[in-house]
Amino acid sequence: MRRDGLFRRLVIAATVVWMAVFGVVPNLLVLGASVSHPSPTTFLSPGFTLGNYALLLDGIHAQILFSSLKLSAAVTAICFGLAYPFAALLARAGRRTRHVLLVLVVIPFWTNSLVRTYAMTVLLNTSGLVNRVLFALGLIDAPLTLLYTTGAVVAGLVYTLLPFMILPLYAALDRFDPRLEEAARDLGAGRFQVLWYIKLPLVLPGIITGCMLVFLPGLGMFYVADVLGGAKTMLVGNFIRDQFLVTRQWPLGAAASTLLTMIMIVLLLIYWWSQRRIHEGKLDV
Amino acid sequence: MMLRWLMVLIALLVSSSVLAAELYVYNWSEYMPDRILRDFQKETGIKVHMSTYDSNEAMYAKVKLLGAKGYDIVVPSTDYVARMIREGLLQPLDKSKLTNLHNLDPRLLGQSFDPTNTYSVPYMWGSTAIAINTQDPVAAQVRSLADLWKPELQGKLLLPNDMRGVIGLALKRMGRSLNERDPAVVAQACDLLPDVVRNVRLFDSDSPKQALLNREVAVAVLWNGEAFIASRENPAIQYIYPPEGFSLWIDNLCIPKNARNVEAAHRFIDYLLRPEVAARIAEEFTYSSPNIPARALLDPKVQASPVVYPPDDVLARGEFETDLGPATAAYEQCWMRIKTK
Repeated sequence: MRRDGLFRRLVIAATVVWMAVFGVVPNLLVLGASVSHPSPTTFLSPGFTLGNYALLLDGIHAQILFSSLKLSAAVTAICFGLAYPFAALLARAGRRTRHVLLVLVVIPFWTNSLVRTYAMTVLLNTSGLVNRVLFALGLIDAPLTLLYTTGAVVAGLVYTLLPFMILPLYAALDRFDPRLEEAARDLGAGRFQVLWYIKLPLVLPGIITGCMLVFLPGLGMFYVADVLGGAKTMLVGNFIRDQFLVTRQWPLGAAASTLLTMIMIVLLLIYWWSQRRIHEGKLDV
Repeated sequence: MMLRWLMVLIALLVSSSVLAAELYVYNWSEYMPDRILRDFQKETGIKVHMSTYDSNEAMYAKVKLLGAKGYDIVVPSTDYVARMIREGLLQPLDKSKLTNLHNLDPRLLGQSFDPTNTYSVPYMWGSTAIAINTQDPVAAQVRSLADLWKPELQGKLLLPNDMRGVIGLALKRMGRSLNERDPAVVAQACDLLPDVVRNVRLFDSDSPKQALLNREVAVAVLWNGEAFIASRENPAIQYIYPPEGFSLWIDNLCIPKNARNVEAAHRFIDYLLRPEVAARIAEEFTYSSPNIPARALLDPKVQASPVVYPPDDVLARGEFETDLGPATAAYEQCWMRIKTK
């Protein structure tokens, strides 16, 4: 019993130390950098200014942020559209089919995502598989321009991030008790009413988790934009990388990075709110 | 028991770090054959660890962040040599230890970025100019920088993913220097760029020959080494030195200020300056070797290629990039604007 308590405390302490050293401290450093003054020779000079945030919301920079947000929103929507039917199917499937399908979802993770992104260029290039198949089917008579377009960036992001939408949706749908649906139908609710008043609120935390896991990386995966978009599309991630490595405006890059953290905090708050509704609110069936 | 193992382990760690000298080289990717490192170790017992970068900016940021230690050799290009000297990140080379220095082409020494070569010796050099695939009728017409602006090239052009490489095209087109320091002129050059960027299919400085060989693009602004390899695989690809001028570069072996293994670093530099070693490097990565006796050892086809070794009258149109000082800000603003469209 005592040993157990000691073990527990050790595990918790290790986790807390780990999180503090590799989570809290770096984030505080980034936060500190984001309010420092820029300096052409020393990366940054300490001080306090909100100028970097103001610069971030100004002209060109705001344009980059906005177009990246738009792109990532589109990626999230497409992922949701593809993942929801699949997750629903998964939740309803028999044990064995379910296992096979889940393994299929996870298999791509065995290969590094950068390698998979490069592999996509082979599919999408002028003489690539996609063009050849379309050509063989007689659907096109000249190769389509697929690679190095915004469409290719969206496709690459959807491909890489889809599992992160499927898994939380599946977890939420799996937990959903189908008897609630039956009960609602017995009590006279229409299909839409069941979906809106019963299913959606209970599955919402899963949807939000999925969106969070797709939307944020969708802003950050700079190599997808470089490899598939021909370095023409700027994601927030490309912007941050350039501030640190090319133009060396660390404070501005740190401010953009902090902005991403703030977006995440907002999404977490929404998640927390949706969870609370289930546990404390009227939904407590 | 446990303690004994621990002591053995410590003894092993200590001895391995004392006995075998180790050298940390930070170089461009696809720039130094692995077997050179192995042969050097065989001869001297010094183990070489190489890590790579794909832009001067990335190398500079890391060296600066580490306080000019952590690496024993870095290979910055001309403009970054100047910058790193100015910021005290490099240490003077001990020329008495570089017995093969006399092999270097004097035309490449004493350039403005390090007039006395106190801090740097050339490793490889080359040009950045235009490669065209003559199988494409529009690309076959390209003869000059101005031609890159033609609307017929839409979606057929590759430019380097490099601020100075792109802005330099517009500056040269205007007949100005690549190292223009007047912000107003830089802004003028920048105003020319949207029309050429409209033609761009992709920006790539990693492996631009790939898009050219895959026929994703028909015209590419790239390094001569890449162009030479591409033309060997597809003879329809030609390399053009535009009449308006083009950019020349030298990548240089330098020792960071606080390098740990200065002695071994000198030995390695001297090793690389040997004609037979330089020739093997230039054979594998077909950029131009600054080593005169090494050139004679190369495949005659490479020696005779104007892509790798341009004649003097062509060379005269080239210009080296130097450090821009405070004018850098104008370039960076322009680059941001181009990339956002």
